[in-house]
Amino acid sequence: MVAKPDDKQAELLQGTLDLLILKAVSLGPLHGYGVLLRIQQISGEELVIQQGSLYPALYRLEHQGAIASEWGDSENNRRAKYYRLTTAGRKRLEAETEKWNRMAGIIAGILRTTPESL
Amino acid sequence: MSGQGRLSRSAAELRSWLRGLAQRRRVEQEMEAELQFHLEAVTADLIRAGHSPQESARHARIALGTALTHKEGMRASMGLRWVDEIVSDLRYAARMLRKSPGFTAIAAVSLALAIGANTAIFSLAKVLLYDRLQVPRADELKLLRWTGDDKVVAHSMWGDFDNTPTGQTSSVFPFPVFHEMSLHPAGMQSLAGFKEDGMNATVRGTARRVAVAEVTGNYYETLEVRPQIGRAIQPSDDAAPGAGNVVVISDALWSREFGRSSTALGQTITLNQAKLTIVGVNPPRFTGAKNVLQSPDLFVPISLEPLLSLHRDNGSDLSNPDFWWVNVVGRLKPGVSQGEAQQGLRVQLEATVRSFCTVKEGETIPLLQLVEGSRGLRWGDRLFRKPMYVLLAMTGLVLLLACANIANLLLARGAQRQREMSVRMALGAGRARVARQLLTESLLLAVLGGCGGLLLGYVCRNALPTLLTNSWENFSIQVSFDWSVFACTSVIILSTGVLFGLAPAWFAARTEVSSSLKESSQTTTRRRRGTSGKALVGLQVALSTLLVVGAGLFVRTLTALSSQDVGFNTEHLVLFDVDPPNARYPAGKDVALHEELERRIAALPGVQYATPSGTAYIASSMSNSDFLPEGEKLDKSKRTAEDFNTVGNNFFSTLQIKIVAGRGFGPQDTATSPKVAVINAALAKKRFPGVNPIGRMFRADRDKPDLTRIVGICADTFYYTLREGPPAQFFLPYVQQKEVHGMTYQLRTSLSTAALAPMLRNTVQGIDRDLPVTDLRTQKEQIDATLQIERALAALTSGFGVLALALACVGIYGIMAYSVAQRMNEIGIRLALGAQPAQVRRMVLRESTWLTLTGIGVGVCGALACTRLVKSMLYGVGPNDPLTIVGGMVVLITVALAATWIPARRAAGVQPMKALRHE
Repeated sequence: MVAKPDDKQAELLQGTLDLLILKAVSLGPLHGYGVLLRIQQISGEELVIQQGSLYPALYRLEHQGAIASEWGDSENNRRAKYYRLTTAGRKRLEAETEKWNRMAGIIAGILRTTPESL
Repeated sequence: MSGQGRLSRSAAELRSWLRGLAQRRRVEQEMEAELQFHLEAVTADLIRAGHSPQESARHARIALGTALTHKEGMRASMGLRWVDEIVSDLRYAARMLRKSPGFTAIAAVSLALAIGANTAIFSLAKVLLYDRLQVPRADELKLLRWTGDDKVVAHSMWGDFDNTPTGQTSSVFPFPVFHEMSLHPAGMQSLAGFKEDGMNATVRGTARRVAVAEVTGNYYETLEVRPQIGRAIQPSDDAAPGAGNVVVISDALWSREFGRSSTALGQTITLNQAKLTIVGVNPPRFTGAKNVLQSPDLFVPISLEPLLSLHRDNGSDLSNPDFWWVNVVGRLKPGVSQGEAQQGLRVQLEATVRSFCTVKEGETIPLLQLVEGSRGLRWGDRLFRKPMYVLLAMTGLVLLLACANIANLLLARGAQRQREMSVRMALGAGRARVARQLLTESLLLAVLGGCGGLLLGYVCRNALPTLLTNSWENFSIQVSFDWSVFACTSVIILSTGVLFGLAPAWFAARTEVSSSLKESSQTTTRRRRGTSGKALVGLQVALSTLLVVGAGLFVRTLTALSSQDVGFNTEHLVLFDVDPPNARYPAGKDVALHEELERRIAALPGVQYATPSGTAYIASSMSNSDFLPEGEKLDKSKRTAEDFNTVGNNFFSTLQIKIVAGRGFGPQDTATSPKVAVINAALAKKRFPGVNPIGRMFRADRDKPDLTRIVGICADTFYYTLREGPPAQFFLPYVQQKEVHGMTYQLRTSLSTAALAPMLRNTVQGIDRDLPVTDLRTQKEQIDATLQIERALAALTSGFGVLALALACVGIYGIMAYSVAQRMNEIGIRLALGAQPAQVRRMVLRESTWLTLTGIGVGVCGALACTRLVKSMLYGVGPNDPLTIVGGMVVLITVALAATWIPARRAAGVQPMKALRHE
């Protein structure tokens, strides 16, 4: 399902999904199902992605020019749409990775806080 | 994200969006194929993991979820979803409009008529009343005028002239006075002189009548106009009388005669016998300084005046200080106010007139006035202002009426669809979504009407000017299609449409969904809609009353004027003009020319009688002259002038004017025989009360002793206009005049003008091949031409009246049909309880009659207040003419009853059982 923009939690998830897709595609061109498999594979099957929200996210990223697509032959000789990272997408991945790491650091710092350290 | 990143992302989004729009089908196929591949891939993996193929396919589909929803999400990601929604809204709106073609047609046509009529009338008004001269910074242009009391020094004048309560006002000056003032004009950059006149020209071998502007050498400099090819008239052309035999031609003449070829430069035009070389062509929209509607054909240096017209007794008009004839235009110096410049010029004029003109004892010097010159002499304003204001007011009313109509239709429709709206909201549609749907419908309707209006406005733009021009003069008003006017009208109407289209959505939003889904809610919504709808219909009826009464007054004026008995037989009477140039036909020679022409034309086959006369009848022109009976003392304070005409010997038989006493003119009256005159009955009654005027002598010029004998009295005829009854007149034979210049020929003939044209041209050009036959028309056409404005007003206001009636009819029908539909239940009960169908019918008719009568009452009050304003434009009918008002009321009541008849019959024909089950 497409998340409603006013749903803060969903928006966060959506942003994370975009980041994950960019990362997955940065490792080499993939078709939609391939993206799904790779994210599950890297996360050690910890993350399960709603299959339905994958495609709108792919289309949105392609619409924004972060990824580009091309039809090619799949491993079992079927036509499939392969996505790859564009230059703009690479820059965005870097920027968002840094943002994510900083945010994670800050939040981790906050969560580590004990009464003594104040 | 950096600014650059955002920019490149927007560019990518736009590119992708456009690609999505352009290759929509391919995008959809790819979406389908991609999801299909996904399913297959998942299924294949599941099979590999050991599931059965059927089970695998099912699981794959469950895991993916609804493909339709995903596709929606994908489309939304590409920014295509709102496009889809608009398209589907439009499709739905189109289907709704198609479903009720009657409603659509009425709404669109009334929109189209209102937009079209308003665009056309306002465009015309803009040209006739507001457009400025096509010169740079036209607002700086000022014209010189003067006002004087009744003893003003200007006696001999050629130009516009108006009587004021205290004296007179005019815009013409003697050339020497203008010249002296133009050397150092106070407060002005420069002063240029000009005079427009009709002359005979031979262009490319054809003799014709042309409009000529004689201009001073600094005219083009002052107006800051540059010819599109060649050069302008320069100060050197104007340096000495006859210095430059050059002419600048208008753009219209250039296209008409020379096909816009630059070879026109250097060619020769013969103008009143003078040979002039074409040196330039004016820019297309330049019309000269005199008026904004049409340009003279030729512009020549004013120094040619002596060559072009030699007709004044005392030498050239250029050197005569007592002949007032030149118009003067100038530009204010920057930084000088109009008041300062006027003061300076006033002093200058007084000094110049004193030193140049012959100022007799007791005569006064006129006071100079500086007036707005951006629209020239504004003669069109005087002619068109009042009729245009009437038309503007009327189109304004039509606009209001159309808005009311649209409002009413949309409100009625909205009320009918309230249930639909409630159902939509109950099913989860947002208010904004419902409002958007209604808005789309209103806008679609408005666009339909707007296109129709555009078409109509365009057609009317071409048709309207022909109402104001006549067939024989090549005068045409160019009305360009005015987009700003069209846009303005459209916005007014569209906002009405949007406003009233949204009103039902607003009502629907306020209504509780559940209450409006219950049938009982109908009564509550009906009342609200009922009052606003009825008020709108009442307004429509009132506006229609106003328009119908107005139209009635103008139609009655036109009928009264055109059914006027003018005193002579206007059937089978053909007129044309011959205007011999004075340079070739000086005094005496012109009379001989007309005698020869009269003889030859009378001898043409098919011509029963022919006569030249100095002035044509009912043509808005007249001549007058002193009429001093012998033995009567000259009282200087009393007006002694009477209307007169110089005519041929066959005049009375040609026009079939009865001689009531004495004799008419005959072959015995020649240049050498004793001078004779015929007077009409009105003059006999006015100047010879109780005396037999036949045989009496009179003088026609106070400064000359020549006596003329009255030999006959003829019946009265109208003279220059249909609006004033027969004036006192006298007639002199032209053969006994010293000079006559141009004359109008009147022929009694059964031939058409088309058949006569070649014969007349051959006859006239058999005598002089440079002499054109001009303004060939029938007497009836001539009379019609003087009624052009009245006819245009009557035609347009009647058109508006009919339009108003049609709109009111639609309004009344709509509201009554709606009211009957809403009361079906009640009517069913009434009938079931024993009411007769006739009673039900009467009930419905009574309801609409009350509504109509209220509207008519308001309308008549409005009409009584408004018609006084047009009193001066009416003839033979008072502004509160009871017949017109009662007639208008009867028409409206009839229309209202007719419009109610169908709903009333439907109500009376209701089957009680069916009506009760209708719930």
